[in-house]
Amino acid sequence: MKTFIFLVISVVAQAVGNTCLSKGMKTIAASSPGFDALSPDLVVFAMGSPLIWVGTVCLIVFFGCYAALLSWADLSFVLPVSSVGYILNVAFAGYFLGEPVSATRWAGTLLIVLGVVLVSRTAAERPPSGFVTRGASDSMDS
Amino acid sequence: MSLTAFMVLVIVVTNAAGDIFITKGMKRVGEIEDFRPARILGVLKQVLACRDFLLGVFFLALSFFSFLAVLSWADMSFVVPATSLVYVVTLVGARFMLHERIDGMRWAGTLIVCVGVALICLP
Repeated sequence: MKTFIFLVISVVAQAVGNTCLSKGMKTIAASSPGFDALSPDLVVFAMGSPLIWVGTVCLIVFFGCYAALLSWADLSFVLPVSSVGYILNVAFAGYFLGEPVSATRWAGTLLIVLGVVLVSRTAAERPPSGFVTRGASDSMDS
Repeated sequence: MSLTAFMVLVIVVTNAAGDIFITKGMKRVGEIEDFRPARILGVLKQVLACRDFLLGVFFLALSFFSFLAVLSWADMSFVVPATSLVYVVTLVGARFMLHERIDGMRWAGTLIVCVGVALICLP
């Protein structure tokens, strides 16, 4: 039960976080004339956006729950199950951000989930530290 | 290669690098066994003075801000799945830099992830 709750919170927090970050960045780009995403000013702009802060906090929550999960659950279980997050991310992008998600894109997302499940089969116990897809460093096999 | 594709590559590679450096740094600090506040403070000081750890944090920050940058123009439904390429990067790194033996299932999974990402790229 504890595992289920933490899984749900972490997956949802990650999707909500990414959605807020995306919305926040699009808003900054739209409302700031001459905005250059590739300049260091990006940091200043980002720090001034409430949505970016909310998104970052959500990702921290995701991180915390994920790390907590790994303190008792196997990575080879957590990894594939949380890859469901990809589906949630794409769904949120379509629903909350109005992005046009084609059938091809859905198919690609599902294939990625399948691929991650296969890759996780023999995952070792090492927890990841990146915010990008989880447990990629699990390939340091046992 | 489009700017978006390049940025996704940057996100993925810096994330993998950050991950590796932080792990290296933490391994050097050693397993945390004593969780008393005074001891934890000591560990914290060690960690913050560790070059590998700081380098790792730097790379992760780079990854995060690159992620923010791309999100200012690209679809989240493209960028987030595309970052799953980090699995490919780490597997290749494990095989060729750490000389690990990767079983067929894992190669297959990686290939499927690649196909999935390729589909994401199509309109």
